[in-house]
Amino acid sequence: MAIVNLQDVTYKYPLTEEPAIRNIHLQVEEGEFVAIVGPNGAGKSTLCYTLSGFIPHFFKGELNGTVEIAGVETQKSSLDEWVLNVGLAFQNPFNQISGSKFTVYEEIAFGLENIGVPRGEMKARVEAAMAMTAISDLADRSPYSLSGGQQQRVALTSILVMEPKVLVLDEPTSQMDPIGTREVFQVIKEMSARGMTVILVEHKIEWIAEFADRVIALHNGEILLEGTPGEVLTSPLLPERGFGISRYTSVARTASGQGLWPGDRRLPITLQEAVDGFARDRK
Amino acid sequence: MKDKLTFYIERESSLHRVNPLTKLVMVFAFIILAFFGPGFWLPSLLVVLGIIPLSFLGRVQREYFRTAGRLLLPVVGFLFLMQSVFHPDVGDSRVLLQVWVLNVTVEGVRFAYLTASRIFVMVSAFILFLLTTHPSELMSDLTRRGLSGTFAYVITATLQIIPQMQAKASTIIDAQRSRGLDTDGSFRKRVGALLPLTGPLVFGSLVEVEERAIAIEARAFTSKLEKTSLREIPDTKLDKAARWFFLLLIVLAFGSKLWPS
Amino acid sequence: MKLTESIKKDFNTMTWVLIPVAIAINVVIGQIVAILKLPVYLDSIGTVLVAAVAGPWAGALTGTLSNIIWGLAIDPNAFPWFPVALFIGFVAGWCAIGGLFKTWWKVVIAGFLIALTAAIVSTPIAVYLYGGITASGSSFITAYLLETGKGVVQAVFSTNFLVEPVDKIATALLAYAIIKGLSKRYLARFPRAENVS
Ligand SMILES: Nc1ncnc2c1ncn2[C@@H]1O[C@H](COP(=O)(O)OP(=O)(O)OP(=O)(O)O)[C@@H](O)[C@H]1O
Ligand SMILES: [Mg+2]
Repeated sequence: MAIVNLQDVTYKYPLTEEPAIRNIHLQVEEGEFVAIVGPNGAGKSTLCYTLSGFIPHFFKGELNGTVEIAGVETQKSSLDEWVLNVGLAFQNPFNQISGSKFTVYEEIAFGLENIGVPRGEMKARVEAAMAMTAISDLADRSPYSLSGGQQQRVALTSILVMEPKVLVLDEPTSQMDPIGTREVFQVIKEMSARGMTVILVEHKIEWIAEFADRVIALHNGEILLEGTPGEVLTSPLLPERGFGISRYTSVARTASGQGLWPGDRRLPITLQEAVDGFARDRK
Repeated sequence: MKDKLTFYIERESSLHRVNPLTKLVMVFAFIILAFFGPGFWLPSLLVVLGIIPLSFLGRVQREYFRTAGRLLLPVVGFLFLMQSVFHPDVGDSRVLLQVWVLNVTVEGVRFAYLTASRIFVMVSAFILFLLTTHPSELMSDLTRRGLSGTFAYVITATLQIIPQMQAKASTIIDAQRSRGLDTDGSFRKRVGALLPLTGPLVFGSLVEVEERAIAIEARAFTSKLEKTSLREIPDTKLDKAARWFFLLLIVLAFGSKLWPS
Repeated sequence: MKLTESIKKDFNTMTWVLIPVAIAINVVIGQIVAILKLPVYLDSIGTVLVAAVAGPWAGALTGTLSNIIWGLAIDPNAFPWFPVALFIGFVAGWCAIGGLFKTWWKVVIAGFLIALTAAIVSTPIAVYLYGGITASGSSFITAYLLETGKGVVQAVFSTNFLVEPVDKIATALLAYAIIKGLSKRYLARFPRAENVS
């Protein structure tokens, strides 16, 4: 059975008229890597908050339909129990630092202290998590003295150490430079490889193409397209509806209009695909 | 403005290793003895025979004298002078000297000395405590003893946010100065400068609150499970004995007030 | 409403995260005001802000902790004055519940009530711990009143009552201005958002 199960979910924030997401049906299998794309205001963050329990428990408002993760329904659970199953990380690394800890090591232990993990086990888990995300050398630094990419890895580690069943990531690299982005994706890839269920909102299309099992395109609060990265990310519908797409896709689309890219070949998403595709014709 | 917000000096010493609560009880014992204990010279004796030797034990004597000098001497000096001069003249006390229309009396000087020495004990006992106790350690220890974890969060978070905001404030002040802000200008100009200096700072820091609340909830901040602590804080039999001793001193201090000999 | 319920109502995670920020606002604005050499303190704007959006208990806690932190981190001379800060937050919170944070002229009334509270609460501290003359500049007024033959309690209270209103009314108005600058959506997350809308 799917670990994430959304049935006909519609949600309205308090003090608003229009729902921010509507009629969402979504099933995610255990261990699957699902990416979500969409233009600004499409409802991506709203969907992330719904999955991670902050809707309705933190934001209040009006939630209809059923949101079920690991067999528990959000309306029948409380936020402090829900977060044990679903981990959430988001854009701004600075705001994700608890602010109450003086070192990275303590910062990562914060969540485990909150759920009463005994000290010996706590240390073992913190150290294992830091090794996994390659931040062991930052252990004694102040979380505020780090670069954005390092801070974001600390934020991710702080969530991972709690061993959630599902990891929800809302544009975790949008404030990172290319180096930071690479560092963060390394961690996400590692988690996915270890069998964690990952739901990722991301604008950097090429990274999605590389990692995701499935892509969901969200538009105006509704699911517009759903399928493999190859199908969804090259769909002509995306640029028409204001989605950002890979520049290689758009170059190849222009090229195919002029007969330079065969109509029966899938448009490329990454640089590598584009190079391979064009090179094949030169031979 | 300071770049670092705690007084804490990391150092190996037997005072550093004393349990934070024991040190806190000791501080209160000093303060209560100073204000309620018997004898004119008691507060001075507490400083000379208690707090100062302890600062050597904690190997923070240099920092202790420097901090006490910076924070206390102006205050205590001011108090002593003002109270010596302005202590109400009860009539039958001996006049030491006359300043303008005011009489400086023996009574007045004694009163001023007593008040100043009490304040000195109060503040410098805290300074000693803060120099040798890391705030995280104090909070972990108090949390273990039943202080709510949310409360401890507030204290340690504040200790980190203040220097960040001070740093931002300095940046803003420097930027405004280069655009012609004059902190010595006319009154109206200085009032006018207040909003541009504080506005961005205040709103910037308030906007962050929502995301930080989400981030710590995502890490089970509101969990109803019993919390544990990463730090292990020493609490020996000697600590317990010392706490009882200081509590006894506190009781005796109050007692001496209730039953004057 | 029972007492424990009334206290609990003030605190959600937003309140817990706001309090450190509010304390930092107290400290940093207090220091900027000192740099600008303005004749006020304005060191409880954050306290009044918390009291208005989260309630009197949260306000009282913010005031108290503000003093403790000021004492822990900046100047231990601040410790003995914590009851003043506590009551500023507490009274501001009740003013907000009573609807005094909805229009600016009512905020002036709230500022005056807060000032009165501060004057009353600081009097016994000044008298019993400091013998009437504290380390602040306004002690010269107290000293003058003492010389004219006033009793020490009366002299201290009169001084406080002269000094406090300007400061606390300005404080309340600035806290109100901050609240007006925040979005409804944001304010709605706090436990007593209805006090300020
Ligand atoms: N707290 C809130 N209260 C009311 N409306 C909100 C709130 N947060 C978001 N909205 C609205 O809900 C809609 C969806 O917003 P959401 O933040 O989910 O979009 P998004 O896809 O994450 O956009 P972005 O790419 O900008 O992050 C928008 O119209 C937005 O204005
Ligand atoms: Mg978003």
